[in-house]
Amino acid sequence: MLNRILSFLFGAALLVFVVWCFLAIGTQVHLTKYGLHHGGDYFAKLFPRSQADWRYALKLGPDLWQPLIETVQMAVVGTVAGMLLAFPVSFIAARTGSVPGPVIAVVKTFLNMARAVPTLIYALLVIPLAGLGAQTGAIAIGIATFISLAKLYAEALESVSVGPIEAVRSAGGNAPQVFVYAMLPQVFPLYLSTTLYSLEYNLRDSFVVGIVGAGGLGQKLSNAVNLFEWLDAGVIIALVIVLVNIVDYFSYRVRKVFS
Amino acid sequence: MPNAIAIENLTHAYKPGVPVLRGVNLHIQPGEIVGLIGLSGAGKSTLLRCVNGLVQQTGGSCTVLGQAVESLPEGSKRLLRRRIGMIFQEFNLMERLTVRKNVLIGRLGYTATIPSCLHRFSAADVRLADDCLAQVGLAGLEMRRVRDLSGGQKQRVAIARTMAQGAEIVLADEATANLDVLTKDDIMELLQNLSREKKVTLLLSMHDLPLAKRYCTRIIGLKSGRITFDAAPDALDDEAIADVLDRASVPGAG
Ligand SMILES: Nc1ncnc2c1ncn2[C@@H]1O[C@H](COP(=O)(O)OP(=O)(O)OP(=O)(O)O)[C@@H](O)[C@H]1O
Ligand SMILES: [Mg+2]
Repeated sequence: MLNRILSFLFGAALLVFVVWCFLAIGTQVHLTKYGLHHGGDYFAKLFPRSQADWRYALKLGPDLWQPLIETVQMAVVGTVAGMLLAFPVSFIAARTGSVPGPVIAVVKTFLNMARAVPTLIYALLVIPLAGLGAQTGAIAIGIATFISLAKLYAEALESVSVGPIEAVRSAGGNAPQVFVYAMLPQVFPLYLSTTLYSLEYNLRDSFVVGIVGAGGLGQKLSNAVNLFEWLDAGVIIALVIVLVNIVDYFSYRVRKVFS
Repeated sequence: MPNAIAIENLTHAYKPGVPVLRGVNLHIQPGEIVGLIGLSGAGKSTLLRCVNGLVQQTGGSCTVLGQAVESLPEGSKRLLRRRIGMIFQEFNLMERLTVRKNVLIGRLGYTATIPSCLHRFSAADVRLADDCLAQVGLAGLEMRRVRDLSGGQKQRVAIARTMAQGAEIVLADEATANLDVLTKDDIMELLQNLSREKKVTLLLSMHDLPLAKRYCTRIIGLKSGRITFDAAPDALDDEAIADVLDRASVPGAG
């Protein structure tokens, strides 16, 4: 009975909260009559509408090639660097019996807190240190990847069943041998899939951090929008969609092979 | 003859104040086949793991092949473990690896870290592994993945691994519990042959009493962390069984 009353009150409170949010946002008047009228025009301007537009869009190609490569490079460097850092740290974040509890607690708390920070924020923080450009983007992506993969790798280590570990230890295996023979076969599919997911995610992030000036296609898009070059913006967005889908597809295929 | 295993006043508590072993004394001669029986939670698995140092006991001593396990540094413990094979109810094999690779795990203690972590073993080790597989009746299955084997075949792989180790003692933690009736006998016969032909000492925790009586040369009854029965299999009559497996007298069991 008490439970029912509590869940009813909770439901009611949730409803009030959602309605309150909508009222607050909905009653602001920024979405102007002008905006509503001309939104369609802006959207249309992203697409080539004449032969001249098409010729212009195609001529953009060579200019966008370099930033496109840069976006991919940022994602790859960030993912690999983050992975290499996450791997050793995951061992002191995993409850596997060989690390003292307080150390694990500190590392885990740090990782959980830091995970709340979006990649974009890291990029803003790194700009003063590494300047505008792809290096900043790669560093920001690397930090975010390190933090999320360290936690995911640690969870993979914790999910390992102890039986095979005991078997290798009882045969006289040392710690590296226990890892390679008893743990790696169990965690490898998880390591691979989480790392590939993070690559997919990082490709999107590498585009987003570009918008605050960290190089690549994102930076091009930001410039294009600032200069009202709508067609340029449209071409860049199309490139990103194609690129992300290609990488997602290959990542999916690789994950399937090893699952 | 010196004891293969000499356990003196062994006590262990995983959590302070909750003793699991409460003063175990046990001396085992080389070549004995010792069946360890007792209720679930009596401490059988814990006792086995003290013998190879997977569990560090809280009190008493455990001398195996002349070395006091508890006082060995980790490196020496590993060297000693090469001489003590262990097989398990859940097999605990590397399911994704091949049969041969699983047997080669018995050679890890003899192989340098870097080559072994790259899955490189000497030609002699590979020959030895295949030879051990032939001895347990698995010739021809070397390149199969373990996950495609039956339970009985898996336990044979585990036994071959202890042979590849050159184990002088084999600890078996309910090694036949997951097998069907006929396969249980096959595995026990294999272990019995190890003992007869190679003088391997066997310490086996078992729940199947008739099986234990058929193959063991000595039965140990463990009750709430103490040995309450220690005699030849013939002495394990109904009365003795009733006493070892008496729940009523076990504090906190039920
Ligand atoms: N790693 C551990 N940490 C804490 N307690 C444990 C651990 N392993 C075993 N125990 C406890 O120690 C007691 C004895 O366990 P043990 O596994 O040695 O019994 P067992 O005789 O092998 O039982 P079973 O027949 O069920 O295998 C049990 O109460 C168990 O809960
Ligand atoms: Mg047990």
